[in-house]
Amino acid sequence: MLRSLRERVMFVGGGTQLGLGPAPEVLFSTRLLNRIVDYAPSDQVVTVEAGVTLAALQEHLNKQGQRLSLDPPLPERATLGGIVAANSFGPLRTRFGSVRDLIIGVSIVRADGTRAKGGGKVVKTVAGFDLPKLMCGSLGTLGLIATTTFRVHPLPESHATLVARGLPASGVFALVKAMRAAQLEPAAMVATREETTWEIVVRFEGFESGVKQQREKLRTLGAFEDEGDSVWAAHAAFRTAGDARVKVAALPSQLEQVVSALPAEQRLCWYPTLGLGFAMGSFEFESARHTLAALGGSLTVEAAPSGSAYGAPPDSLRVHQSMKARFDPRDLLAPGRFIGGI
Amino acid sequence: MDADIQPATPGATHATMQAPAQPVLHDVLLQLASVVGEKNCIREVEQLRTYESDGLASFRATPGVVVLPASTEEVAQVVRIAQRANLPIVARGAGTGLSGGALPIPGCVLIGLSRMKKILEVDLDNGFLRVQPGVINLDVSKHIGPGGYYYAPDPSSQSVCTIGGNVAENSGGAHCLKYGFTVNHVLGLTVVLGDGSIVKLGGPVLDEPGYDLTGVVVGSEGMLGIVTEVVLRALRKPEATRTFFATFPSTTEAGNAVSAIIASGIVPAAIEMMDKLAIVAAKAATGVDWPDVNAALLMDVDGPLAECEHTSAIASRLCSEAGALEVRVPRDAYQRDLMWKGRKSAFAAVGRISRNYLVQDGVIPRSEIAKVLREIAELAAKTGLRVANVFHAGDGNLHPLVLYDARVPGEEKKAEEFAGDILRICLRYGGSITGEHGVGADKAIYMGEMFSEGDLETMGKLRCAFDPEARFNPGKVFPTPRLCGDKPGPHKPHASELSGDAVRV
Repeated sequence: MLRSLRERVMFVGGGTQLGLGPAPEVLFSTRLLNRIVDYAPSDQVVTVEAGVTLAALQEHLNKQGQRLSLDPPLPERATLGGIVAANSFGPLRTRFGSVRDLIIGVSIVRADGTRAKGGGKVVKTVAGFDLPKLMCGSLGTLGLIATTTFRVHPLPESHATLVARGLPASGVFALVKAMRAAQLEPAAMVATREETTWEIVVRFEGFESGVKQQREKLRTLGAFEDEGDSVWAAHAAFRTAGDARVKVAALPSQLEQVVSALPAEQRLCWYPTLGLGFAMGSFEFESARHTLAALGGSLTVEAAPSGSAYGAPPDSLRVHQSMKARFDPRDLLAPGRFIGGI
Repeated sequence: MDADIQPATPGATHATMQAPAQPVLHDVLLQLASVVGEKNCIREVEQLRTYESDGLASFRATPGVVVLPASTEEVAQVVRIAQRANLPIVARGAGTGLSGGALPIPGCVLIGLSRMKKILEVDLDNGFLRVQPGVINLDVSKHIGPGGYYYAPDPSSQSVCTIGGNVAENSGGAHCLKYGFTVNHVLGLTVVLGDGSIVKLGGPVLDEPGYDLTGVVVGSEGMLGIVTEVVLRALRKPEATRTFFATFPSTTEAGNAVSAIIASGIVPAAIEMMDKLAIVAAKAATGVDWPDVNAALLMDVDGPLAECEHTSAIASRLCSEAGALEVRVPRDAYQRDLMWKGRKSAFAAVGRISRNYLVQDGVIPRSEIAKVLREIAELAAKTGLRVANVFHAGDGNLHPLVLYDARVPGEEKKAEEFAGDILRICLRYGGSITGEHGVGADKAIYMGEMFSEGDLETMGKLRCAFDPEARFNPGKVFPTPRLCGDKPGPHKPHASELSGDAVRV
């Protein structure tokens, strides 16, 4: 089908990340690519077609006491192909890393119809160039992601969520340092701005004795209270609220500079160990973009009524352009939706 | 390995590399020397011999010249000179690689990065450090250890191998089961491209917009550019580590123990298996007091103290239930280090029990370990060669060591064929031809058995995007030479393409 392609095309999974960029002539839905191809619980490896939703995959894995340690918002709609293409993530990135850290294989269809695979179906392989990593965050500009293979993890035996409120912005990174000094290993951690102070939610996972020990230790580091799991659903809802959202990236220690670069009324959440956050609501973001770039970070628009998704491209732009030209010489795949007009 | 063994039977790739080389022109040598200094521009034949192979000593080729630059700028100038002279470039770290990744192309400019060994920046608060590629892997952990941090990837050669080499090969190690490989710990790179330009990819701030070119360069076996700076993740040391050593009547019981431990929901930091010959060798080399058994597991769990106590107790019980003869817990840190020393010296230790050996590196789904080991043993019996097995059992990464005597006519060839057949077994079980040593010159001939023409052609496009002139490490990884065939840079579609009459491949 792709081989005979003449029009510009965009691949669509659950459509959760389509908030920006020019619309192409053809939308190619992966909805029918919805099989779980191969799952070996004893090897903790699963291969799925691109259109499988995260929720459907998790349900399948949970039956064997396992999960994919990725928790971006809207799992009922978000597909694995889309999650890879958009490099989507949620709070579990704190402990388990992002898509690039969990993907081990991929098969793609290039714009000229050539099928190609990279990586493998074992957790460890270094044979050949890393096509799976190349696909992470590529936004469908290099090819259709047909199947993906992931490393999965055992479901934790136990977990605990704690919350502390009323911290100043400076207290957020101070807490990260204190937790690290205390050798705590949170599975997830997110800070959310409420008016002028911050609320921090921490989740521990693992075997019960370890979770208990860490929970007690955290309570010695701040005014932490036990909290129910619903707080994570509230966070996911926060992440997708409204039709305007930007992603901000800086060093974990730079939260205060990030805060002062954004409008004071902006709703904001921040993953304190990662240095990544999301600001919700419409605003004029060009000056914030400059401030973040000066810090060595970035501001990327996830959804907005207008404006440019990306700031000034990195100095490696011509390598990105060259990659696009090699994979999609006719410039048919999601043109204009990536950095530098790719 | 013995210094007097002959070059291995050349595969297609190897044969290409043995083509006679033109000597590097005097004028080019003068230009190179003016960049890096006379004493860092090596051209005497005797001295060049030092660089004619890496850890895969059976493959050899003499570089045209070896240069030892001291900075990114010097690397860039060297690359520009080589480009003008149209010479291939091969980068080299410590030369400990086991796949011939740093094997010179005859007559090439070999860029040794051993002088670039500065740690440029340490920011433990933000969990990263910036280093030059010649820094020794273990020196990173030594440098940040006093602050309570470490660098996770731990190849067995970590006391001598360099970060630059680790980046090229995406090196693993015993502890990558829980913590991942080099690629999971590299946040950014500075790379000199084939035209001598310098680009920064990624950095300490996550999610730089664009393709994940950092992730692509890690593990690209020196074929995309020369890495001159690396931003590494620094991890906080875990609160506790618990180690144990368990012995078994055979590798079947040991394999079952591994499966049971993984199935219980434990993610061990490391879980290593050794068979009888490997145990004998490790004892001979390091003096560890291990019993003469057919199989042993060495396992680490780490994390919060209470969790470690719990998981090590469960794992130890599961070993007993799987039929362990004995489970030993080290008394102190010294004993623990000794156990790990026994494991990490296993490759070299095999030299104590065999005149020559080949180190193989293949991957299988871990649940198939017992079956695959039986197949390897049957093959060994058929060929009359011995095999020692040392491997990362948790992720199914096998390191069969094929023992042979090069003085016996035909035995080396037989050993190579046997080692190749082991890879075919791995592929038949859905695995990989290399888990951490890389393809290099050694395994290029097997790439076509793991990947289709479309796969390889696509990987070729990735390479061409970085290095359209195939300047870096040509002849490695791909089973047949590949050219990029058109000019680099942003593509301007031709009128006939726009009209749909022509398609660029």
